[in-house]
Amino acid sequence: MKRRAFLKNTVVTGAAVVAANAGLLTPTTVLADWNKTAFSAKKTDDALNSLFGSANATESADIKLKAPAIAENGAVTPVTVDATSLDGVESIAILASKNPQPLVCQYNFAAGALGYVSTRIKMGETMNVMTVVKAGGKLFKAQQEVKVTIGGCGG
Amino acid sequence: MSIKIRMRAKSKGGIAEVKALIKHPMESGVRMNKKTGKPYPAKYIDMVEVMVNGTKAVDAQWSGAVSANPYVAVKVKANSGDEVALSVTDNTGEKGSSSITLK
Repeated sequence: MKRRAFLKNTVVTGAAVVAANAGLLTPTTVLADWNKTAFSAKKTDDALNSLFGSANATESADIKLKAPAIAENGAVTPVTVDATSLDGVESIAILASKNPQPLVCQYNFAAGALGYVSTRIKMGETMNVMTVVKAGGKLFKAQQEVKVTIGGCGG
Repeated sequence: MSIKIRMRAKSKGGIAEVKALIKHPMESGVRMNKKTGKPYPAKYIDMVEVMVNGTKAVDAQWSGAVSANPYVAVKVKANSGDEVALSVTDNTGEKGSSSITLK
């Protein structure tokens, strides 16, 4: 069973790479490629520009960002983004504003998925956790400050 | 050696919450080894994919800032009897996958 899934995956990614090489898809639509520019960006705006082509996101109350007000251990900060009340969620990105590279993770959703993500991230110090949601071609954001008592990077 | 994944999923009203715990160091490449003064080499999961019955539902890109032994939960449209699979790849090319059939 595992071998079959593995074979299927290699075929899928292989096809995407071929398509990208042929110039059929623009970099932002190639989901199979790791976005090095966005992940190595040092500022949140640069990361967003490279990820979505714009850093212009409007605050939205429809995004529920759940993060602790005080994180005892910055190495494991639970973060939940619930954007299921927005229609047509295509992508969710989670950023930690003061991390050396702010972009933590980015999720893309196909038709068979809901705009919901829960994960745990590392945070070096007290900072804002920001989420940017792309829904119906528009960018929305929500953010919350998390106080970190023990840093999660290095130490 | 493949990456170990523990996975659970429950379907309720056509929507399944897929939860997974992945065993992985998630070394960002920034943390310093105090003895040698050099950073530990980066080793983190950068690609995650969730498939429902062989169709891609969610794919994610991660950086080294996702916690060690990552926990991830997503919601997908799936009913009982559907097969949900999660596969990961790290920056060194190591892979892991797990799949379950919804009850």
